[in-house]
Amino acid sequence: MGARRWLTPVAALGALAVLGTAPGLVSPFILQFIINLFMLAVLAESWNIIGGFTGYASFGNVAFFGIGAYTMGILMTKAGLPLWAALPAAGLVPMVFAAVVGLPILRLKGHYFAIATLGVAETMREIVYNVEITGAGTGLVMPIARTPALFFYLMLATLVAVTLVNVWLSRSRFGYGLVAIREDEDAAAAMGIDTARYKTIAFAISAAFAGLTGGVFAYWITFIDPDAVFRVIVTIQMIIMAVFGGAGTVVGPLLGALVLASLSEVLSTQLVALAELFNGLIVILVVLFMPKGLLEVLRAGRGSFRAMARNLREYRV
Amino acid sequence: MLLLQVLINGLLLGGLYGIMALGMSLIWGVMNIVNVAHGALIMLGAYLAFWMFHLWGLDPFLSLPLTIAALFVYGYCLQRWVLNLVVRAQLFLTLLITFGVEVVMINVARLLWSSDLRQVTPAYAAANFEIGQLTIPWVRLWVFATTLVLSVVFLVVLEHTRLGRAIRATSEELRAARLTGIPVAHIYAVTFGLGAALAGAAGGLWGMLFPITPMMGGSLTLKSFVVAVLGGLGTMMGAIVGGLALGLTESFAGTYLGPTYPNAISFGLLVLILIFRPTGILGRRT
Repeated sequence: MGARRWLTPVAALGALAVLGTAPGLVSPFILQFIINLFMLAVLAESWNIIGGFTGYASFGNVAFFGIGAYTMGILMTKAGLPLWAALPAAGLVPMVFAAVVGLPILRLKGHYFAIATLGVAETMREIVYNVEITGAGTGLVMPIARTPALFFYLMLATLVAVTLVNVWLSRSRFGYGLVAIREDEDAAAAMGIDTARYKTIAFAISAAFAGLTGGVFAYWITFIDPDAVFRVIVTIQMIIMAVFGGAGTVVGPLLGALVLASLSEVLSTQLVALAELFNGLIVILVVLFMPKGLLEVLRAGRGSFRAMARNLREYRV
Repeated sequence: MLLLQVLINGLLLGGLYGIMALGMSLIWGVMNIVNVAHGALIMLGAYLAFWMFHLWGLDPFLSLPLTIAALFVYGYCLQRWVLNLVVRAQLFLTLLITFGVEVVMINVARLLWSSDLRQVTPAYAAANFEIGQLTIPWVRLWVFATTLVLSVVFLVVLEHTRLGRAIRATSEELRAARLTGIPVAHIYAVTFGLGAALAGAAGGLWGMLFPITPMMGGSLTLKSFVVAVLGGLGTMMGAIVGGLALGLTESFAGTYLGPTYPNAISFGLLVLILIFRPTGILGRRT
């Protein structure tokens, strides 16, 4: 036990050290792919906080990504702030927004919550389309950044931070509180968990990371417009990566992001619509064959196929 | 603009929202599936009407029965062989799988038909008539009349036929329905087929009023949902009343608050209703 307890963190640090040297070693194309992969992994892990641990399936988390991107954009172009001053705001503004919006909508359950969050995201896109400071429909052109390595390290740092938060949730009192809410909210409240506060904090943390990623993304691609940063498909990607790997686990969303981002990268070199089509098919197949995630199926070892067949039969009429 | 004119514009649009929501509400009420692919079904109906008009010169009103039939078959198959496999799973999973269906449909449409804006423009598209100071476009009036006829037919089927009773029985109590010999899997598929047919009808008519693209469905799904909730879930009359209410709201908001925020208004309305009156206008307290 003593040795195993240290094994995971040491292995993780080792992997990080190796990863840290990547920008100098790989081609620019691969580097772009890795940055994108990190971004999707952060989004999946951030969705996991509210959707996986807390069981509130938000279909509007792209709103926080978009708000983060625009906060960054406005602060850097209109206020002329440097990266280091603007980036914290890209996390903070969506966090506050999520807390404010979360108070009323986290009272909703199931479908109602899901659609309300979808509505929030669509409404944000429309507002951004129509106000002056965001450049309306034409978007914002960001200052040109120096080097891709910068974005690599920024995304990596965000990914490490969000993963650590997920690790913390998987073994802390607060995290157990969220899981209790997921399993039975009334029982959780009866046990003395302040459910409204727990849910709102989880939603806000989730939003903060989505926003930070949005901020880095904005600077990275140097041009943002409402359709680029408020796309529903981004929310779907977060959800499906988390669910594909295993929602409510720490490793699941990382695994999901790695597998799906790689596959979809291969396809989008052919055609973007083809990659999105593939995303949709994956969603359908995952729900049918492994609704509890890849980890659960892999754990069945040789019984994997039987586990998938069992999943397929479980909820049919 | 004249108050009465705004009112009429709203009502005429509201009919379309009504049949969209009727399909959404049926599927939701009977199977507890929030069909996120609803907007994509509307899109498919719109493209069928467009291609029949474009290739064969078939008038959209005349091709409407074909569109409806095609969407019924499509919806039936989708439910029978895909959605029936997960229909009893948690809400999140059924919601997610219809999301997947939506993404697939939209991108197949993009690949097949490109993302260009298209519109169905029969010769009478711009014709209108005037009563006093009121201007009423013929197309909108006929679209409205068609939606009313479809709604009535649908309600009669649901209330007064053997099939309708089977659907309602299945929605009340799945196991009891099965025990009385109702083929549940088939009834579920028929229900989804009917919902898809209504969506297809709405789409077939939509193309005469607004441009169509593969991506048109997203906001329509949300609007159908808004209307279904607004009217009160599970009450079919509620969907129609809710549709008219949304049409009026958009029309008045568009006229007096400016044309830039119609969607923001309907979604804002949705969030407010969900918070303050989750049972809707005609809904019962549970």
